[in-house]
Amino acid sequence: MKITALLVLKAAPETSDPVILANASDVSHFGYFQRSSVKEFVVFVGRTVASRTPPSQRQSVQHEEYKVHAYNRNGLCAVGFMDDHYPVRSAFSLLNQVIDEYQKSFGETWRSAKEDSSQPWPYLAEALTKFQDPAEADKLLKIQRELDETKIILHKTIDSVLARGEKLDSLVEKSSDLSMASQMFYKQAKKTNSCCTIL
Amino acid sequence: MQARHGHSSYRDRTDEFFGVVETLRRSIAPAAAAPNNVPYGGGGRRDDPRSNAVMQSEFNRRASVIGLAIHQTSQKLSKLAQLAKRSSVFDDPTREIGELTAVIKQEISGLNTALLDLQAVRNSHNDERNISRDTTTHSATVVDDLKNRLMDTTKEFKDVLTLRTENMKIHENRRQRFTNNPSKESTNPFVRQRPLASKPAPSQPAPLPWANGSPSSSSQLVPRRQGEAESSPLLQQQSQQQQQQMVPLQDTYMESRAEALHNVESTIHELSNIFTQLATMVSQQGEIAIRIDQNMEDTLANVEGAQSQLARYLNSISSNRWLMIKIFFVLIAFLMVFLFFVA
Repeated sequence: MKITALLVLKAAPETSDPVILANASDVSHFGYFQRSSVKEFVVFVGRTVASRTPPSQRQSVQHEEYKVHAYNRNGLCAVGFMDDHYPVRSAFSLLNQVIDEYQKSFGETWRSAKEDSSQPWPYLAEALTKFQDPAEADKLLKIQRELDETKIILHKTIDSVLARGEKLDSLVEKSSDLSMASQMFYKQAKKTNSCCTIL
Repeated sequence: MQARHGHSSYRDRTDEFFGVVETLRRSIAPAAAAPNNVPYGGGGRRDDPRSNAVMQSEFNRRASVIGLAIHQTSQKLSKLAQLAKRSSVFDDPTREIGELTAVIKQEISGLNTALLDLQAVRNSHNDERNISRDTTTHSATVVDDLKNRLMDTTKEFKDVLTLRTENMKIHENRRQRFTNNPSKESTNPFVRQRPLASKPAPSQPAPLPWANGSPSSSSQLVPRRQGEAESSPLLQQQSQQQQQQMVPLQDTYMESRAEALHNVESTIHELSNIFTQLATMVSQQGEIAIRIDQNMEDTLANVEGAQSQLARYLNSISSNRWLMIKIFFVLIAFLMVFLFFVA
């Protein structure tokens, strides 16, 4: 369940190459010498996929051991490199969030970008780390997970309520025995008290 | 002079046709024999007015043959229309429909050419001899009538074909809804392709945009009705092949979201059930607790009563008065007995 890279690109119409607007990648699990080549690979594949994604479309491509998910919304394209286990839906909701965030923070300035911007966008980097767990990105997954936990807790509750019921039953038995015994005791005491006048 | 109508393939048989006319003239002039359609290139001989009537009846005969053929074709067409309407998902008479379609198409084109021949015959023997104006108008009317009928038949044929394609679309639609995954995987090789290898893919011309477009556009209709709030409007099919694979992927995304929501909803239902059961059990146990409470109160009352009795008994035991009286009576009794026996 790993995200390797997140890219935001401006997907120009078919002629030109997409322009990279933001890039965050996590290459820590590659060896030191492979890191730069992996970054290049990410950039290149990201451009290719973004140029192939028509506007208002989502797309997933399998490339070697990565799945590349791309979402193009009116020219602003977000591309994510995830492994096979990452659920597709949370990937796309993550891309949605990234695009919304980008539009909120940068408005429309990206439309005029002509070359790759090299300044890192901190949101993207922290998004990369935060969303390694797919439940974070996808609210539905989170809700489902919490509901399952709640269900487990409720099952335990029901078991303990059943045990409580059994204990209450035994308590009822004991208390009724006790009340019987105390009644006998009272009668006996009354009997000895009333007939001792003689002797 | 030769009018084109409907879907007939335009074949220029003028030369053959003139040859036929010559043959006819030659064959009818000695005797009123049946014409044969063998193209016979040769010189023309002037006909004598005696064969006028023969030509005219020839014309009539041919017109009636054509009319009959048109009628048969329209009958076959109605059968085809029935088949096309009737088709359900499972016993699809595709083969029969295909055969019937081919047969009808052939007949229509044959009829077209026959009609053209007829018209040319009429025009040719209009040119070459003097016939009355009435005959001319009569033959013109006949030819026009046949043309109209053929046009109607062709139109019906077109309608039936349209109906047939719509039905096929609906079937594809239904088939994809019921057997979801296999068809999606077969139409979605894009997911399995590498991006570098995907360069040749979009440049492939779409082989059958009609056949491919209809299933994916019909599957486009289905998840749109599922109404996700996020569903972005799908554009018309511009880049055909890519778009067609994109549409099933979009559907997959939407459907997975819909499915996740359904799961969440059913989980919440189960949770509500569990809560209800919990509440029932707790209320039942509440009654048990009340009973226990009452029992304990009874016990308390009994024990208190018993304790008061015993306290009174203790009081009565611990006081000495009765004891003194008892001792006194015992002494008196002894004295009495003593006095009684001694004195």
